[in-house]
Amino acid sequence: MPRADVVVIGAGLAGLSCAAELAERGIRVYLAAKGMATTHWMHGGLDVAAPDGARSFRDGIRLLAAKRGHPYRTLATAAAPAVSTHLARMASAGLEHVGSLDDPMRHVPTAIGSRRPAAMVPSAQAAALEPWAGDGLLLIGFKRYRDAWAPYAARNLEHARWRGGPPKIRAIEVELPGLNGLHNIAPQILARMFEDAAWRARALSAIADALPAGAWRIGMPAVLGLDAHAEVHADAERTLGHRIFEMASLPPSVPGLRLFEALRRRILTLGGRIQIGFDVVRVERSGHRITAIHTEAASRTLRIAGDAFVLATGGIGGAGIRASHDGTLTERVFDLPIVAPPRERWFSDDPLRPHPLETAGIEVDANLAPPELENVRVIGSALPGMHYLDERCGDGVALASAHLAAHSIARARTVTA
Amino acid sequence: MTFHDAAAREFPPFSTDLCIKCNVCTTVCPVARVTDDFPGPKYVGPQAQRFRGPGVGRDAPDDTVDLCSGCGICTRACPAGVLIAETNNRARAAIVEDRGSSLRNRLISDTDLIARLGVPLAPLANIGLRNGLARRLGEKLLGIHRRGPLTTFARRTFTSWWKRRGGATSLPVTADPERTVVYFHGCAVNAFEPDLGRDAVEVLERNGFTVIVPRQECCGLPFISNGLYDQARTKARRNLSSLAAFARAGYRIVGTSTSCTHALKAEYRDMLDLSDADATAVADATWDICELLLDLHDRGELDTGFAPMDEPLPYHPPCQLKSHGIGTPAMDLFSLVPGLRAVDSDHDCCGAAGTYGLKVERWQIAQDVGAPLFAAVRASGAVRAACDSETCRWQIEQSSGVPTVHPITILAESYRRAGTAVEEPWRRIV
Repeated sequence: MPRADVVVIGAGLAGLSCAAELAERGIRVYLAAKGMATTHWMHGGLDVAAPDGARSFRDGIRLLAAKRGHPYRTLATAAAPAVSTHLARMASAGLEHVGSLDDPMRHVPTAIGSRRPAAMVPSAQAAALEPWAGDGLLLIGFKRYRDAWAPYAARNLEHARWRGGPPKIRAIEVELPGLNGLHNIAPQILARMFEDAAWRARALSAIADALPAGAWRIGMPAVLGLDAHAEVHADAERTLGHRIFEMASLPPSVPGLRLFEALRRRILTLGGRIQIGFDVVRVERSGHRITAIHTEAASRTLRIAGDAFVLATGGIGGAGIRASHDGTLTERVFDLPIVAPPRERWFSDDPLRPHPLETAGIEVDANLAPPELENVRVIGSALPGMHYLDERCGDGVALASAHLAAHSIARARTVTA
Repeated sequence: MTFHDAAAREFPPFSTDLCIKCNVCTTVCPVARVTDDFPGPKYVGPQAQRFRGPGVGRDAPDDTVDLCSGCGICTRACPAGVLIAETNNRARAAIVEDRGSSLRNRLISDTDLIARLGVPLAPLANIGLRNGLARRLGEKLLGIHRRGPLTTFARRTFTSWWKRRGGATSLPVTADPERTVVYFHGCAVNAFEPDLGRDAVEVLERNGFTVIVPRQECCGLPFISNGLYDQARTKARRNLSSLAAFARAGYRIVGTSTSCTHALKAEYRDMLDLSDADATAVADATWDICELLLDLHDRGELDTGFAPMDEPLPYHPPCQLKSHGIGTPAMDLFSLVPGLRAVDSDHDCCGAAGTYGLKVERWQIAQDVGAPLFAAVRASGAVRAACDSETCRWQIEQSSGVPTVHPITILAESYRRAGTAVEEPWRRIV
C-alpha cells in the first residue's frame, strides 16, 4: 500500500506543478490520475491572465482579481512567485521561456490563422512575440502533414486587421524527405524525426531550398524535437538563417508533451511517485480529515494513504465535476460542495461567448481548503468563478493555486512537526 | 458510477462514445511510435468502432487493428475513460471470427500443447530451439521469427516436481485461509521456468504460507491476444472451475506472472465476458506475488531478514503489471534488500507483448519498441535485470544480452543467503 505525505490527484499543469513543488520541498508525494490531462493540448505558452483590455499579465491579474468570485481574488499575490518558480523549473529541464508579467501583451499567430494574446512563451516561440520591425511572416507547412495548413493560416491572417503586424505574410509548403508514402504523420512522429541529425540536415536543406528571398520570421508547426528540442530549434535557425517560432496545432501538442515530460521527470527524480490510469473510486475519512483514497485496479482497489490531499482534477470542462441530466453537479472524488450558476442558466444562446457553467467549481477558503475538510486543497480549473478560456487565465490560476497549496501544506507540516 | 462507466464495464466498446479525439493515446502508443503501418489506438479504436457491429460490412476499415500489441498503455493514458485496448482486442477477435486464424497463431497461442510436446522431448526440442537452421525452417514454414524471443523447455515440469515433493494439490480441511495460498504457476513456469515456481514456493513458505497447487491450465492470455476467444474461454472456464472453490472459501490465488494474474483479474471479464460468480470470485481473490508480499509487509508480517545483495538491478515493470493498478510492488520489496540498487526502467514497453514479438511480420516492430529499454539495460552495467512477466523477460534477455529474472528470484536468493530453514535441500529442477 502506497503511503505518502501528500497525495495529489490529477495530472494537469496544476497537479504536476504542485507535486513537483512539494517534492522540491522534500515532501513525499504520490500523484494519482485517471488519465492524462490538458498538458497534451496546450499551445505551450502560458496563459497567466489575458482578459479583454489587459495590457500585461500583471494588468490582467488585477482586472480578474477585481471580479467577484474569481480565483485571482485570493491567488493574485501567489501568481508572481508561482510563475517564476515554474519558469525556473522549466529552464532546468532545458525549456527556456521569454517574457514576464510586466511585458506588454502582444498577439502571436496561431496555426489556423487567428491571433492569441501572449506575453510569456517558450524560447522556440519567442520570435512571434517580438515587434515585427519590418520582418515579413513566412508560414511553412509540410506536404502530407495534415495537422497544420500554412496557406490557410496565412489567408486568415491577411484578412484580419493586425495593428503592428508584419508588413507581408506568405505561406509555402515544403516536401520533407521520406514523408512520401507515409500515412500517419502525427506531430510527435515528426518531432522525433527532427531529432535524427542526418534526417534533420536533409529536411532543413529542403526547407532552405524553398525559402523565398527576404527578411522573414518563420512560423512552423511545433514539431522541432522533443527531448533534444533546444538543439533542434537552434540548428534550424542557424541553418535557415531566420528566426523561427513554433505554432502548436491540432492535439497532441508537442510543446505540451515537452512540458508534461519535464514535470513528470522532475517529480520522479525527486523521489515522487506517479500513477496514471486509475480513477479514485473511494475515500476514507476520519472526522474533518481524509486519510486515504482508493484507486480502481484490475481487482480490488489500491489504497493510497496520505497526510494531505490535493485535488487537481479539473472543472466542468475536465474530469473533476460532472453534470447529470437532472441538474446536479457532483465533484467526483470527495463529493465536495460546488459553486455554480442555477440550472436555468445552464444554457447559452451564443456558442462563441463564455459559457455560464464554465464558472462552476468547488467552494474553497483563502487557503484553498474546501469546507469541513482541513487536509484537502483544491487547485487548478476545479476552482470556481472563472471563464478560463475567455479570460486566458487557466495556466496562471493552475500555477498560482498549486504554489499556494504546496506552501500552505508545507507550512501546516512545519507547524505540526 | 455514471451510465457510461457502468455500460463500459458491461461492454468495453460502449466506452468509445466518450472519446474526445484528443490523440493522447496516439502519443503514448509504443507501436505507432515505431511503425507508420499502425495508425494508432484512436484510429483503430474509437474511430473505426463506428464502422463495426452487427449488419456492418466486413470491409470495415480496421485490419490494422491487428498491429496493436495489446500493451494497454492507451487505456491508461486516456483522459476520457475509453477502454481503447480492450475495444481493439475485441475488434481483432471479431476479425478472427470472420476470417479465421493462421495455423501459426493457433499454434503459438496453445502453450499447453507446446509444453506437452516439448517437455518430454526437452533435450531434442531445445537443440531445435537453439539451432539456427531449425529456427530458419520455423520461420519459413510457420512464420515464427528466427530470432524471436523463445526460451528452452524444462526437462521436468513444475507440477511433476511438485508431485514428487508431495506438495498439496487440494485443501486440507484445517487449512487457514490467512496462511494458505493457491499458486497459479501458469504455463511458463510449468514448462519453461520451473525454478521460478520453486523460488516462489520457497519465498511463500518462508513467510509462513502453506502452498497449494491445484490443477490448472494456461490462463488463456495468448489466445486472447491472438483473438482466439473460443479457445481462450475453454481455458478460462477450466481454470475457473478449478480455482473458484478456493476463492469462495477465502483463499488467495497467487501468481508469478503479471500477465496470467491480469488475465484472471480483468481480461476474463473485459475480453471474454466472463463475469459470473465464479469469475468474479477468482478475480477478487487473485494477487500478484509481489503485491501479496507487499501487503504482508504493510501488516508488519513479512520476513524482512534479507541478506545483502550488492548489485545494481535494472527493473522493468511490464505493461500487464501496470494494468493491474497496483503500482510497482517489486520496487517496494527491492528497497527492503540491503545493497540492492534497483532502478525502475521508466520505459513503456519491451515490445514482446506475449506472442507478438515472435511473429515474423511483427518481430522488427517489437525490437524497435524495446530498443530504448534494451539500450538502458545494457548501459546499466548490471549482470542481470528483473521483470515480472515471462515473455518480457525473454525479450529483454535476448535483445539486451543481460540475463533477466523474476523479482522473486532475487528475493529468494537473498533469503537463501541469509540462511533459510527449509526442510529439504533445494535443487535446481532443470
